[in-house]
Amino acid sequence: MIPSTALTACPVCDLLMQKVEAPAGKKVYCPRCNTPMYQQKTDSVTKVIAITFSGLIAYTPAIFLPLLTLDAMGMSKSGSIFSAFLSFYHQKYFFVAVMVFLTSIFFPLFKLSLLFSVALQIKLRIYSPSLPYLLRTAHHLDEWGMPEIYLIGVFVTIIKISSMATIHYDLGFFCFLFLVLTTIASASALDSRTFWRDIEQIKTFSQEPLSHDN
Amino acid sequence: MTTEFHSRQTAMAAGLMCCHDCGKLVTADKTPEHGVLACPRCDASIHYRNINAVPRTWALILTAAILLFPANLLPIMRVDFLGSQEHSTIMDGILYFFHSGEYGIGLIIFIASVLVPLFKIIGMILILLSIRFKWKTWLRHKTIIFRFIQFVGRWSMLDIFVIALMSALVDFGTFTSTQAGPAATYFTAVVMCSMFAAMTFDPRLLWDA
Repeated sequence: MIPSTALTACPVCDLLMQKVEAPAGKKVYCPRCNTPMYQQKTDSVTKVIAITFSGLIAYTPAIFLPLLTLDAMGMSKSGSIFSAFLSFYHQKYFFVAVMVFLTSIFFPLFKLSLLFSVALQIKLRIYSPSLPYLLRTAHHLDEWGMPEIYLIGVFVTIIKISSMATIHYDLGFFCFLFLVLTTIASASALDSRTFWRDIEQIKTFSQEPLSHDN
Repeated sequence: MTTEFHSRQTAMAAGLMCCHDCGKLVTADKTPEHGVLACPRCDASIHYRNINAVPRTWALILTAAILLFPANLLPIMRVDFLGSQEHSTIMDGILYFFHSGEYGIGLIIFIASVLVPLFKIIGMILILLSIRFKWKTWLRHKTIIFRFIQFVGRWSMLDIFVIALMSALVDFGTFTSTQAGPAATYFTAVVMCSMFAAMTFDPRLLWDA
């Protein structure tokens, strides 16, 4: 008989296993379906705070400042991530406009802020009942924020346009590049197993009556 | 809380539920309060397997398969150049790149907007059929296919982002401008449906068969 806390299950094939600790940086794979199950990461909480904070700084210029300026036929035209969303909106493709808004503007911001606030609360060991919900929401948004796909889209657009106009790269382009880097880095620095374990610790700690009180 | 532990046993067989959101193992012997058991750590509702995963995934994937036709046959972009209009479908855009010698970028768009949606739909149907008829072979490979579908699903939005940027940038009034076409809506719907299908599906059902 083994306590259930010493066991773990593969999320993909439900195989029950005894927990093993791997050295930092090494991945643990499920022996049956070969899915990578977890990877211990060093200083995950601190890294996530630093990365998401710098991402949040870059967010506003990345979305609202012009990315590129086109010069063609004596005219120039510049566009930002936000104006690209507005162009769908003005053409009355509302469904597409909403999806573009969510995946390229809202979710990247929402996810960075969620991770920032969760990591900060874990670091400062503050427990609020909303803490698990924040991390769960961040997990569910994982695949819905798509700044890195947008970046490839920017490159494709550059190649498409380069034959018919001169392109200037604006400040927004570099801020957006930085935003994408921080998004990818925050995902790879995040060790959700440690995050959940810490949340559980803080929770039980905050619910214990303090012995030196009164 | 102790559990009898054998190797090659699923958590379900041992009476344990694995929380979908935080991965905690929860003993299922407690009677649920409101019909659903909540994870003590993260408060997500937990169950052995996703509820109605197979019919829901079928519904979403068949919707995606139907919508794939208008998405590929209708024009996705319209370019106005000095008064003349040119409509182009997804395939026209890809062929344009191949004709102008940009093979790399043409291949990226071809993979992201033609191969990936097709692969997702065929792959999911294969996995669903395999559950329906309890095919017990190639389970590892089917799991890899599912994880690949999960990973790759979002990359189809690439074309939509390109059109968004094109219509924002290439807008020189009456000289030349770019507009989205009706296929954009259908194409976005295909991507959404297949992403939701991968989310509602439960790969553990493959291994239960």
